[in-house]
Amino acid sequence: MLAILRDLLRYNLEFRIGLALVAIVLVMAGLSFVSPYPAGDVFVVPPDIPPSITHWLGTTSRGQDVFWQLTLAIRNTLGFGIMVAVLSRVIAIVVGLLAGYSGGWIDRVLMSINDTFIIIPLFPILILFYFVLRDTMSTPLLATIMACLGWAYDARLIRSIALSLKTREFTQTSIFSGMKTHEILAREHLPYVLPIVFSTTMNNMNWSIGIEVTLAVLGFTDINTPTIGGMIYWANQHTALVAGIWWWIAFPVALVAMTFVGLFLLAVSMNEYIDPRSRLARMGGGR
Amino acid sequence: MSGAGDAVPVLQVRDLQAHFRTHYFGVNREVRAVDGVTFEVNRNEIYGLAGESSSGKTTLVKTIAGLLKPPLEMVGGSARFSFLPGWDAIGRAPPEVVRAIRWRHLSYIMQGSMNVLNPLRRVRYSFRDFAWRHLGGSKVEFDARVVAHMERVKLDPSVLDAYPHELSGGMRQRVTIALATICKPDFIIADEPTTALDVVVQKDVLGMIRAIQCEMGSSILFITHDMGVHAALTDRLGIMYAGRLVEDGETPEIFSRPLHPYTRHLIASLPRIGDTEQREGLDGTPPNLAAPPPGCRFHPRCPLAMPVCTTIVPAMVETLPGHRVACHAVNPGMAT
Repeated sequence: MLAILRDLLRYNLEFRIGLALVAIVLVMAGLSFVSPYPAGDVFVVPPDIPPSITHWLGTTSRGQDVFWQLTLAIRNTLGFGIMVAVLSRVIAIVVGLLAGYSGGWIDRVLMSINDTFIIIPLFPILILFYFVLRDTMSTPLLATIMACLGWAYDARLIRSIALSLKTREFTQTSIFSGMKTHEILAREHLPYVLPIVFSTTMNNMNWSIGIEVTLAVLGFTDINTPTIGGMIYWANQHTALVAGIWWWIAFPVALVAMTFVGLFLLAVSMNEYIDPRSRLARMGGGR
Repeated sequence: MSGAGDAVPVLQVRDLQAHFRTHYFGVNREVRAVDGVTFEVNRNEIYGLAGESSSGKTTLVKTIAGLLKPPLEMVGGSARFSFLPGWDAIGRAPPEVVRAIRWRHLSYIMQGSMNVLNPLRRVRYSFRDFAWRHLGGSKVEFDARVVAHMERVKLDPSVLDAYPHELSGGMRQRVTIALATICKPDFIIADEPTTALDVVVQKDVLGMIRAIQCEMGSSILFITHDMGVHAALTDRLGIMYAGRLVEDGETPEIFSRPLHPYTRHLIASLPRIGDTEQREGLDGTPPNLAAPPPGCRFHPRCPLAMPVCTTIVPAMVETLPGHRVACHAVNPGMAT
């Protein structure tokens, strides 16, 4: 594993750039723990100051320091992405492995549920959830809802691998030796799908952060928890662009774009490692 | 090597029938892959099963081992093990009984056994996954036992920490044999375990199988289409053709006095040292088992075919002591 990372660092430009971007974002998120200002408070600094030595990224019309506000916002946004990715990975792995391995009616039932989740329109459902839940809508709850809506594509992908694993001799021997279904799936099949799961985790985080930002900008989330989308929402509320407070919008947008590009490059470069075709090409064999 | 068996049957197969039944697009199809097979395997002997591809060898042992998955169904007959009294066949016993006897009493070296080891797991974990539950005891005890057993099959214990792709074909084969024998089972089914190996490694592995079998006193049901391997390893030999057993007896007896015309062809096809003549092949192909020929299934290709062969199924008759054959030309007037 370490050797793979070292090789990726040495030979893969996308991985290097991606890692650098994600590292910057992570450092930002880490800095939130040493923030000099309390997170939720407003008017702790003079409002509407452009970027300067004392306030690196300026201050907002609500009297918050943009830089320190941003560190907390990106931490919450990243945390949200990770929460959704982990939860939906668990569902995708369980459903995908079980459907592919069991076959028969279990497969048919799980895959028709799966296909239902693939085609239902996501955005109206999320907005509906917001209007139904209103004040009880919190970040963990939204993450759970998103995870329940975001596992279907990857479950199908995992199922396709499980279908082929099912017919291998070691699976037959596992059955013969009396291993139970959950043991076969967890010990024998899970290692096969993990590389793909790693790669799709990045994409899933990007997807969920994107949705969260969209919802937050429109005000359909818990606006009192600072997130990237939430910052843009408040900036819009204070007509920051019209008032010339461009730094209030530009820096959150830049940071979240950095997160997107970084995660995407990581996913792409890992995919290049996982895909045997591109791996062959890198070794000079796949011409 | 003949007569190594103790004449105490461990496995008694009686008129076993296993068919593949499918029902697709309104068409019922039944492939009679195993159709009325009867034989016994004694304690402390190696029973060989020979026959060409698609003659039903693997289906037969899968049915015996209870590995029945649709569309394969056991239709009739029985396959009794002495360590599983009270049940006609493993496939009919309840799952917890089956789980208790597998590996402990019955182990199975699968066809393509080189791939029995999960390529993503170190060899040690394959042992833990497959065999630990059957032996019990603590992890330390089990690991010590595995190491001791590895020495018996002449493998360095460091192999346990390797991934399967780091081992050579012969080593992997030894590992799978070690895996199948670690619980000292009474009965081992080996489905073409040496087919992918070259002759030098094959000889080595066969010698090891024989040595372990002698040491443990277990029985082996050994499948291969390689008659040379049968001659070198097995005590008794059964010849299968198109889902039926056509001849069985002690291996030297079958090789020196083959009675069934199919067996004669099979043995005549073996090259001998110094032989310069071209061997004659047998015309035709094995029959389609979804619509097998009536009577003796070998009659369309048989040089001795008589009118009776096309209508009446020949019975398996003990023609010579311990030597059974199913052929109208050898046993005139015997029908099922």
